[in-house]
Amino acid sequence: MEAIRNYLETMFANLPNTMEVQKAKRELGQMMEDKYTELKGEGKTENEAIGTVISEFGNLDELAEDLGIAPYVKKQAAAMGKILPLQEVKEFLAAKSKSAFLVGLGVMLCILSPCAPILTDTFMGDGLANLGAALLFVLIGMAVALFVYAGLTTSKWEYLEKEPYIIDFATTEYVHNQQNLFRPTYGLMLTIGIVLCVLSVVPSILLENAVAWMEEFSGVLLFVMVGFGVFLIVFSCKRFNSFQYLLDLNKADTVAGNFVPGQNKNKRTYQNKTVNGIMSVYWPTITCIYLCWSFLTFDWHISWIIWPIAAVINALIRNICE
Amino acid sequence: MAGISSDVIRGYNDTMILYLIWEKPSYGYEISKQIKVMSEEKYIIKETTLYSAFTRLEKNGYIEAFEDFSSGKRRTYYRITDMGRAYYREKCEEWNLTQDVVGKFIMKGDLSYGSN
Repeated sequence: MEAIRNYLETMFANLPNTMEVQKAKRELGQMMEDKYTELKGEGKTENEAIGTVISEFGNLDELAEDLGIAPYVKKQAAAMGKILPLQEVKEFLAAKSKSAFLVGLGVMLCILSPCAPILTDTFMGDGLANLGAALLFVLIGMAVALFVYAGLTTSKWEYLEKEPYIIDFATTEYVHNQQNLFRPTYGLMLTIGIVLCVLSVVPSILLENAVAWMEEFSGVLLFVMVGFGVFLIVFSCKRFNSFQYLLDLNKADTVAGNFVPGQNKNKRTYQNKTVNGIMSVYWPTITCIYLCWSFLTFDWHISWIIWPIAAVINALIRNICE
Repeated sequence: MAGISSDVIRGYNDTMILYLIWEKPSYGYEISKQIKVMSEEKYIIKETTLYSAFTRLEKNGYIEAFEDFSSGKRRTYYRITDMGRAYYREKCEEWNLTQDVVGKFIMKGDLSYGSN
């Protein structure tokens, strides 16, 4: 039965997702299912039943006029895009997961790097101050190496950006299931990561008036907690987004873009191209303004106000232009 | 023997469907099965052909679709309308005429006559 469902979904994959098309798909699916059930009841094998049902399905050309999809049926072959095979989807997910881990690790090393001078200063005296600084750069160097390596492992899949690719129904279901399997882990990792970041200041507060080396140690603890928290956040988000990326390959207004709930969730396009261009650099610009303002004036106590204002403006633009 | 030409029979799919729901409403697979049985498996209607006929008949007001859950599954049943019955009678007359006319040009007996 799975094979029949797959066949039907593939036939309809590139048609627009309208009421008429959905109704036709449902009706045809029901007829095929009835026929399959009866053939199986007559003692036919799975393969015979599927073969008969598919050979007697007919051709969507016949429905083109009734469904108002004539233009789609004609240009279907051209508009299809290449189908990304399941094997490659699996490789893609494995590589993305590995790269998410490496990038997370790299970010963690960057955050941990200031711990090296703090530790050597506190426990080894001034004589080894240079060793601490050297260690800091070693850690950053390792992080950069990880970033480069992670980039190389996933560069193979850049072709997905250049040409239209789609995934078929079975693959979509596979990716969706994998995403759902990862969802609890994702939630847990994200929560722990955020909690660690928030709680990272607690040791410093508690150890504020303790002996000197304890106080220094609390600084190290802060970096360790933030580092590990950020690692969890980066890894889980990047991994989760790799599933979403595949689900978003199919166009939203086609049947293939609606195989499973949650497809094309992340895609946000603005009708106006200029607005689209501005919005793509919106958050980086805000970040830049925030950092420039804060570092130039040292008004950190008030400069955060830029974030809520930016968020409101963003929501406004989205509502007007989307 | 050559199979049935779908181009020729297309004009009469409507007639078959209307005949099959004349007494009581029926649903997609049941109708396609009846066509297969009554034609002694000489004509198997494709699912897309059947669905296309349903939408056309419904658009013209010859049949009405309604949902039924009694079989445990959601099925779309089709019921014939008065206009549908009138259309069916028309089609029957048309067929009788067609058969009459074309029949006059169909040779009986040994068809090898005339060929070398």
